[in-house]
Amino acid sequence: MSLLKEFSRIGRDLFLSGLVSSHGGNISIRAGDKIIITRRGSMLAHLNKEDLIETGLYKDDSGIIMASTEIIVHRAIYFNTSALAIVHSHPPAAIALSLFMDEIIPIDSEASYLLHKIPVIATKETIGSKDVANIIPDYLQEYKIVMLRGHGAFSIGDILEEAYMLHSTLENACRIIAYGKIFGNAFKEYRKDGNKYTKW
Amino acid sequence: MGKILWVDLSKQSFQIKPLDKNIIRDFIGGRGSGVKILYDHLKKGTDPFSEKNLLIFATGPLTGTPVPMSGRFSAITLSPLTKTILDSNCGGNFGLQLKHAGFDMLVIEGKAKKIIYLAITPDSIKFENAEDLKGKTTIETRNIIEKKEKKKGSVVTIGPAGENKVRFASAENDGRFLGRGGIGAVMGSKNLKAIYAKGDKKIKVADPKSLEFFIYESRKWLKANPITSTGLPKFGTAVLMNIVHEAGILPINNFKSNQFASASDLSGEEVTEKLFIKKRACYRCPVACGRITKTSSKQGEGPEFETLWSLGALLGINDISWVAETGYLCNELGLDTISAGSTIACAMEMEEKGFISVGLKFGKKENIHKVLKDIAFRENIGNEMAEGSLLFSRKFGTGNESISVKGLELPAYDPRSAHGMALAYVTSNRGGCHLRAYMIAPELLGIPKKIDRFSDNGKAGLVAVMQDSAAASDSLIICRFASFAISDEYFSRLLSAVTGEDISTMNFRLIGERIFNLERLFNLREGFSFKDDNLPSRLILENLNKKRKINIDKMLNEYYRFRGWDDNGVPTSKKLEMLGLK
Repeated sequence: MSLLKEFSRIGRDLFLSGLVSSHGGNISIRAGDKIIITRRGSMLAHLNKEDLIETGLYKDDSGIIMASTEIIVHRAIYFNTSALAIVHSHPPAAIALSLFMDEIIPIDSEASYLLHKIPVIATKETIGSKDVANIIPDYLQEYKIVMLRGHGAFSIGDILEEAYMLHSTLENACRIIAYGKIFGNAFKEYRKDGNKYTKW
Repeated sequence: MGKILWVDLSKQSFQIKPLDKNIIRDFIGGRGSGVKILYDHLKKGTDPFSEKNLLIFATGPLTGTPVPMSGRFSAITLSPLTKTILDSNCGGNFGLQLKHAGFDMLVIEGKAKKIIYLAITPDSIKFENAEDLKGKTTIETRNIIEKKEKKKGSVVTIGPAGENKVRFASAENDGRFLGRGGIGAVMGSKNLKAIYAKGDKKIKVADPKSLEFFIYESRKWLKANPITSTGLPKFGTAVLMNIVHEAGILPINNFKSNQFASASDLSGEEVTEKLFIKKRACYRCPVACGRITKTSSKQGEGPEFETLWSLGALLGINDISWVAETGYLCNELGLDTISAGSTIACAMEMEEKGFISVGLKFGKKENIHKVLKDIAFRENIGNEMAEGSLLFSRKFGTGNESISVKGLELPAYDPRSAHGMALAYVTSNRGGCHLRAYMIAPELLGIPKKIDRFSDNGKAGLVAVMQDSAAASDSLIICRFASFAISDEYFSRLLSAVTGEDISTMNFRLIGERIFNLERLFNLREGFSFKDDNLPSRLILENLNKKRKINIDKMLNEYYRFRGWDDNGVPTSKKLEMLGLK
């Protein structure tokens, strides 16, 4: 599959599943000493070849002026993890929960197996932010997906689809938590040591 | 209440006049207020080099405040190159010092009998003899005046080109330039070698708390946006070189091609690696896109992207050190690098066609420095080239070798690969300029959003809105590069906080529209018509891209209708009434 096709497939699904708004979110892969990242302000559901920006991973070059605003965070993640792909989305239910919780503990089975726990981090400036770039890679050493309070999620993977899946799982988990709240605060624990997920 | 320092060089006298509060309300400051004063005071058909021409230096409401990227000032006059209205915008500290001296604007009329410089402080306005500065370069002049005045202020200077009324002479201020359209020549025509300003008066704002919040919000985006946080700070404006070339937008060999295998030799990366010494920032600018550079034999300012293009790629030359040195030379002589390079390119093509014999050839550096000096001192063929490429090519060639609109040589964006830029060029009130509506932003950089650059559809409205926005922000005054990260909603709030007046974003744009229309009225009064809203024939007839050709007539018709102008490009009574210009 061509790179454009792969980016387009993931970008379209991120939008169609409501994980990003029309021009929100960004995607990248690491290619040697280069990073290929979506263009700043591109529409993930309608990516074309001019929307895939190649620029230096370690070294700035002129491609930087076309790159996503979040390139600073993507680079920091690649510097400090073994990630080969990164997805950043704005999942609504997860963002809502991040405003009330310091960590998100899924209660559904899929996310419990896949994620166990999603840390929530907070910074005053959240977009294209050095603070975020400084903090997030540390969390991604331990967790494959991290929530930035009020903003969105960053995930890593060996391939793009893997990184994308984590957002889909996270958002589903958060919806289930939110639906669960309708029925009351306590739920019937079905997992062995479910109360230990917070220590994950 | 703002103040205008109104100087008559013929009488060596001055008056301090109040700045009409209606002008501030309707035109903001900077470019807008300058245009209004020039329109009201200049008689139709004035010779740009006559003592009747006014030269206006204007600050804006943001000048001297903590607003990032607001350390700029404007100069407004009747252009000797285009005979249109001209405003030029510069990042030196002169505006700041003028305001600290207690003046929002400086209006200069008349002509000194001998060469002088003007020294402005809160306590005195002096007309100092400057005969000893005759023939000095911009930098020599600045250094001498700074030494003489003792207190570190800010000096606007011209070089030999300005003294000799080269129609595209620039004026220098703190290493920055009033580049386009011949501001330096107008200073020279008035025997005004330089202006020094120094002050210490405090600059107050109406609502400091709101201003602090709006500045914080603006800075957040300036820090977040990769162009303003990384691209420009790290590589300067030359960061555009590779991007523009790869898109087929960079004009080569006098717009005969858009392919230059060596374009990357002139990139921001190369400037940084081979020439860079340190960054230079305008007052209150976190971006610092200015460069101090050094070659094996010289040190100087720049080269900016436009200079790397006009003195490099446009001439088929890829020697970055030589291009930098040629830029330094233009800076010292006081020549606009865009027009200087374009006029050389025009001459190269004319020589290729056998119209002249100067020893200029695409891809060859030989004779270029000599010709530039000849232009500045109006010697040999340089005396003819000093008239600008259009008059030069009309006199010695076919007229088609000048790639200009209304006599202003086009900058580094070939409109055949960015059709909106074509419309922006032909409707720009100061001639072929990229800064009246920087359509490269949406057509290439995706700001605010990406559009099809080869399409003519829907460009008219966008060009008009961007022109209005630019006219208003040039009146604040804020750097055009701020628009890469923040927009009119921020600008109107910053203006409201500084002035204490509630100015909505739509009103901000309306003011821009008023300014733009008044500039159009100025040009119409000077005899321009819709016939002048046209591109050089090469750009219409020759198709480099095997893509769609520019349909300039279609875009223009749509543009006139969008603007509320008639079929001849004249603003209708209804439009003028709506703008309060009737």
